[in-house]
Amino acid sequence: MSLTVALSKGKLLAGTEALFRRVGLPFPEGEGRRLVVSMDGLRFLFVKGMDVPTYVEYGVADCGIAGRDVLLEAGSDVYEPLDLGFGHCRLVVAQLRGSGFAYRRASTVRVATKYPRVASGHFLDRGVSVEVVKLEGSVEIAPGLGLADCIVDVVETGRTLEENGLEPVEDVAVSSARLIVNRASFHARRDDVGRLVETLRGGDEARSQTRTSVPLPQRGEG
Amino acid sequence: MSNTPPRLSHVPPGVQCFVGDEARRRRLIEERVVAVFEGWDYEEIIPPLYDYAEVFAGKALSLKTYSFVGRDGSVLALRPDFTSLLAKIAAGRLRDRPAPIRLYYSGEVLRYEPPKAGRQSELHQMGLEHLGGDATAADAEVLAIAAECLDRLGAQSWVLAVGHVGVFTGLLAGSGLDPDAIERLRERVEGKDAGGVREVLEGSRVGPEAARAVLRLTELAGDASVLGEAARAFEFSPATSAAVAELTRVVETLQAAGLGERLAIDLGEVRGLDYYTGLVFRAYAPGLGFEIGGGGRYDGLLERFGRPMPAVGFMLGLDRLALLLERQGALPVAAAAAAENVSGPVLGEALKNARALRTAGVRVRFGNGGGR
Repeated sequence: MSLTVALSKGKLLAGTEALFRRVGLPFPEGEGRRLVVSMDGLRFLFVKGMDVPTYVEYGVADCGIAGRDVLLEAGSDVYEPLDLGFGHCRLVVAQLRGSGFAYRRASTVRVATKYPRVASGHFLDRGVSVEVVKLEGSVEIAPGLGLADCIVDVVETGRTLEENGLEPVEDVAVSSARLIVNRASFHARRDDVGRLVETLRGGDEARSQTRTSVPLPQRGEG
Repeated sequence: MSNTPPRLSHVPPGVQCFVGDEARRRRLIEERVVAVFEGWDYEEIIPPLYDYAEVFAGKALSLKTYSFVGRDGSVLALRPDFTSLLAKIAAGRLRDRPAPIRLYYSGEVLRYEPPKAGRQSELHQMGLEHLGGDATAADAEVLAIAAECLDRLGAQSWVLAVGHVGVFTGLLAGSGLDPDAIERLRERVEGKDAGGVREVLEGSRVGPEAARAVLRLTELAGDASVLGEAARAFEFSPATSAAVAELTRVVETLQAAGLGERLAIDLGEVRGLDYYTGLVFRAYAPGLGFEIGGGGRYDGLLERFGRPMPAVGFMLGLDRLALLLERQGALPVAAAAAAENVSGPVLGEALKNARALRTAGVRVRFGNGGGR
């Protein structure tokens, strides 16, 4: 029985393809529109990024690749054994540049976001009442239009924020692509899953550079 | 989220209704599991459906209980699990019963669960508790019983993933981490997220040796060789070494009993730290993404009820078992025997015939003469 891997059709796709090719794993060619593709012992599901953890948690997919931002939002009960070292971005609180808005002084902060769970958690942890306006996209225009005081969203370069007159004022979390594994598959299909994890582990070139404070101990041989 | 009033035909989220074959399959599963429990000389307890909310208070479960105020003003809760109730009964009504006490149950629990992967609010749990026995023997016994249940049901390719919470707590004893940080660390270890573990440990007062050891918990999962690795890696911590040794004794016992192939070691299995004190395990099978059941050692619980006693137990979820067995094509439910129609012009005569046939063991359908 082959392993099923859920992959995001979104911004992590290019990095995922590069990683799979680098470590010599199969990856479907071309721009096909097929959402389920089987090849060389792997079955690929191409789904919306936010849905990857769902497929994996239910065990429909044994593994998946999802951004940590998505995992924080989904709160799924899955294993996250590998930081794959690409797709780096930050989740931040951003507001209109120069607005002087300070959410700690507001009775209730109204925040527009694609990440309602992360956003409300962030403010609640700081003892601030929060009203979440859930949007599916173009979150950056919300403060300028008066829909929200601020936004919680991912930034890579910060250009989109800038173009919409926003500035980041607080970090919520850092994110990168993670390999996630279904709990049952991890144990009940240990050999297959273990091989995939080790193969992907070998492809993370940035690994040794991003981790310095507490180095991973060397695994004893044998 | 919707504020639309439900229609009369709507079923509230979290509860289900089983009809015909589905109900028969559930009944069959329950019978098989209960037969295994009885076969190991466990005694059935049918505890009440609700009790004082305080009985369930000591656990994370209290967040999930449906509690209500009784007519006399006392705060009551629908049972969210059986273990607390069995502990209470063992410490109370069965106080004079010498240990070890072996008890089992099968019935519904109610707990609030947000609608998510395979979770319902009304769940049927079948489980047992082994109270006041020798730890290694009792741990091995309950694991062997869980294994026998899954075998008897015809489940395929299942594994029991076993760990020991003392490995984690031993490494952090005296670490100076506040409970909040420990919980965040536990979550990251539970998720096998090495990066997340590093994030929590960075800048904390946890020493480098313990930090490296905690980090290793995210990867110490696999076959029994993991235990040898763990023994070497955690030599510096007496508490952790003791936990690994305890787990090793149980695993070796099961290996000697021919169950070694069914075990997966997982030292990152650290759920329910406020509750479990030793061995913990979960049953998994391919075909079902989530655990079928699980359990562990909870030596602290009985003390709450005034009879301190070591204890270990487990439960299997009937709902998940039914789903798994159906997906695996195991345990086919035989169709009901064909029924014989019994009717006649004289109603009393026909009923008499039907009763005679029933006495002879025939399935009858009485008075098939129309109606609405």
